[in-house]
Amino acid sequence: MKELRKNFSFLLQRGNMKPRDIPIWLVGLIVAVFWIAPFVWMVSTSLKPPKEVMTREIEWIPRHVVLENYIKVFQYPILRWAWNSFVVAGTATIVGTFFGALAGYALARLNFPGKKIFFGVLLASLMIPAEMTIVPMFVGFLKAGLANTYIALILPAIPNVFSVYIFRQFFLELPKELEDAAAIDGASQFGIFWRIALPLARAPMIAAFILLFTINWNAFLWPLLIVFEDNMKTMPVGIAAFTPVVGTHTQLEGFGIAMAGVTLLSLPSLLVFFFLQRFFIEGISRTGIKG
Amino acid sequence: MYRTFCEKTDLNRLKKPLTWKGERIQWSGYFFILPFFLPFLTFTIVAIIFGTYIAFTDWSIMGAPQWVGLANFKEAINDEWVRKAFLNILRYGGIIVPSVTILGLIFALYVNQRWYLSAFARAAFYSPNVVSATVIGLVWVWMLDTQFGLINNYLGKVGIPNIPWLTSPKWSLIGVSLASIWWDLGFNFVLFLAALQEVPSDLREAAAIDGANGWQTFIYILLPHLRPTISMVITLQLIATLRIFSQVYVMTNGGPAGSSLSVIHYIYTEGIVRFRLGYTAAVSILLFLLILLVTIIQQRFIRERESI
Repeated sequence: MKELRKNFSFLLQRGNMKPRDIPIWLVGLIVAVFWIAPFVWMVSTSLKPPKEVMTREIEWIPRHVVLENYIKVFQYPILRWAWNSFVVAGTATIVGTFFGALAGYALARLNFPGKKIFFGVLLASLMIPAEMTIVPMFVGFLKAGLANTYIALILPAIPNVFSVYIFRQFFLELPKELEDAAAIDGASQFGIFWRIALPLARAPMIAAFILLFTINWNAFLWPLLIVFEDNMKTMPVGIAAFTPVVGTHTQLEGFGIAMAGVTLLSLPSLLVFFFLQRFFIEGISRTGIKG
Repeated sequence: MYRTFCEKTDLNRLKKPLTWKGERIQWSGYFFILPFFLPFLTFTIVAIIFGTYIAFTDWSIMGAPQWVGLANFKEAINDEWVRKAFLNILRYGGIIVPSVTILGLIFALYVNQRWYLSAFARAAFYSPNVVSATVIGLVWVWMLDTQFGLINNYLGKVGIPNIPWLTSPKWSLIGVSLASIWWDLGFNFVLFLAALQEVPSDLREAAAIDGANGWQTFIYILLPHLRPTISMVITLQLIATLRIFSQVYVMTNGGPAGSSLSVIHYIYTEGIVRFRLGYTAAVSILLFLLILLVTIIQQRFIRERESI
């Protein structure tokens, strides 16, 4: 509830608005409404019967609201895809956040030879495009007999550089006193991390979790490559096939089903974003790639 | 005197723990970074070495790879589709990068004013960034549909005939770019917003007292402060755009006639679908070299700017 109020308190904030700013203010708001119009159109289309979809008339509010398209969507194994996505994104995010916290803590706090090199490799890896690795990774997982498995989907998603960044940045800025006190009491290094440092890192944890979950939930290229069984597809890959366009020809059944599919796919992300937007934005500005 | 003597001959010092940079080495550090770095190094460094090796072979999943030297690279340079794909990603870059940089900056300047409903505008501008390529792709295939799409319906109202956004070689790349701009802008917008919020408010106040108008404040106060962010946004976006794939795959599948084909898309169809692993590994190295070039140019550019 507190989060909600924090998000929406902005709505009432007037800032330094002057009467002469009103035209710009209005134009900006119109652009903002225009910017989310495709989402509105998506939901609106998904609720229309096919005849009212494929028409030149523009109706933002459907004349007849029907669930026909959604019922058709559920004739596909969409629940199975949603479950796959949930398992894959959930596991990769939880494990990735935790491993990132461990590494970030060590790179910020602990003293060991090679620390700088490890961090340098991390930075350099951002320059190395994933494409360099997709062919060898594909071959590797295929030859290991791991195609169409959760392991193939989850494992490469676990080491996430952003997660390390976020935690490293946080621990660099956090005062050291509490941990020093615990060290004097003879706590082990891991004990200090687990009982003292990690509980303090609630904010970066949420930021990393949300950032990683968005990345993993929306992952497209790798799941497309490594899964060819319909049952093991993730939601974005499964639903991508809903397009009614074949070559340059649009099938008559139209876009209703496709829009119902993508509405189901995007609604969780959009809702989570809407309520936790502070953390999304923090996550990006926390990744240490600030100017 | 006695105390210092005791301290100096402290028994613990006889064990003398190893030091690094004047402090005791915390060996546990390696255990902390191991869970991250083991898979990380496997999926980056090891994969890259393996990929580079494949690029010099004729491997096609069956049998053992045969060393063919530079043959794959020679073939790639002469491949009409590879040329097309590389030309296309540069076109994508030319459309998408300036658009998201300029629009992202304008949107950030607007939201940074914190007027009524600024939070709504902020959420609106960022929202497309949280959904997947499938959502972006399908929504825009529908919006840009030649016959019944929303865009053409509105254009029709002002007398503009139907534009075959995604079904003609002339327009397909622009159609995909429109969707990409909508998708990518939010990320850059937030980076700009974060940079703007770091501009000390007394700087702006001082400018206002000196009678600077909005435009002057922007040019003399904000722009110098934003320069590093602008250069970062351009680089990150350019690299991301050179790697464009998912939205192309969903929207046009590279067509018609390869007019929207990207390099990664070509790697996908040749390598993963047709199993020409050696050849596509070579193409991906070419793409890597292009991205490396972009990064180096950007670094040079920044250094020059700093030295002025």
